[in-house]
Amino acid sequence: MNNTNRFLNRAWLGLVGLLLLAGGAAAIALGSLPEAAERWTSTAPDVISSVSGWLRDSPVGDAGFSWLTIAVIAAIALIVVLLLVFIIRQGNGHTRELLRESSGDNGETIVEAAVAEQALREALHAHREFISSSVSTYRVRGASVLKISTVCQRGVSPTAAVRIVERHLIALDALLGREVPALLQISGGFRARTTGATRLL
Amino acid sequence: MITHPVYPRLLRRETHSPRSVAAIVVAIVAILVGLYVATELVLALVEAPALLISPSDALLSLGGIDRVIPGALIAGGVLAALIGLALLILALLPGRRARHRLPSERLAVVVDNEVIASSLARTATTAGGISPDNATVTVSHRRALVEVQPPSGLPVDEAEITRAVEERLDSLEARPGIRSKVAVARHGKVGA
Repeated sequence: MNNTNRFLNRAWLGLVGLLLLAGGAAAIALGSLPEAAERWTSTAPDVISSVSGWLRDSPVGDAGFSWLTIAVIAAIALIVVLLLVFIIRQGNGHTRELLRESSGDNGETIVEAAVAEQALREALHAHREFISSSVSTYRVRGASVLKISTVCQRGVSPTAAVRIVERHLIALDALLGREVPALLQISGGFRARTTGATRLL
Repeated sequence: MITHPVYPRLLRRETHSPRSVAAIVVAIVAILVGLYVATELVLALVEAPALLISPSDALLSLGGIDRVIPGALIAGGVLAALIGLALLILALLPGRRARHRLPSERLAVVVDNEVIASSLARTATTAGGISPDNATVTVSHRRALVEVQPPSGLPVDEAEITRAVEERLDSLEARPGIRSKVAVARHGKVGA
């Protein structure tokens, strides 16, 4: 329902996974293959000396340090900020607006999501089939979509649950004069399973 | 069944994992590592003592890493490779949730497998005339296993239970479709 970029999540996991896999494989090779260790011993000093050479050749004035170090710190800071944005953007996509319609020259009519949310919550609350239910509104591809989550009592037929919600939603359609797209999620949950055992003695 | 253009997208997203938890955990670890490296770099710049190891010492010891005990190197490598493999698997597998889609004229519906199981358990015990606690139902992507524990000394009508369970599944019309199997335990339970 939310607008989490799932492809980005998977790409990020895949990238880190590949890096760890490659690093791990390299370490295993270094520890187990003498040839790999030999090549490491022969090339590593050259690499280190050329890195120290770059650091020497790129001083910031007379400060005694390299601007390459500053660049690396800046790059790390940028990556950290990007990752923070990445984390914060997970799970967004809620909206408070259900419908917006311009009525000719006389302005606009806005129906807030709370109207539908409260109406449905109130209606579903009256049914014993549901232990609890919640309604929220998301923006999906430019349309407001209602998400109705219900926790059912033990043994309730999912079909019956769907019919109840359908009935209330159709009543809401009549009220609003529009069919708002909606998603119903039916779950069981902990309380549904621990409803007391029946015992006849 | 599909009455709105966003429904296929909603249903696909509700029946598959977003991988948010794994992505956030990996991102937090990466942020911590990045902050640590940046701290060491800044400390080296102002010529303050390093927290653990200064960047130049780290570079030098990385050059001599092949002199670390091979066992430790291999163990570290295996650990890193295993974590990497686990992350790759998370990235590539579909990550299906234990949910099914249900038909509706008006809305998109997903139902947890445990709700279907609970409903089938009630159907089976009602059809068999036994207590609701004496059926265990497991619903997976394509099958439902109904295990019935009959009360000691009273036979249960397995055919009747099977018929009722199949009828309930047919009327449910869950997608992907579920096939059922009813197993009645050979030994009864006293007081069941």
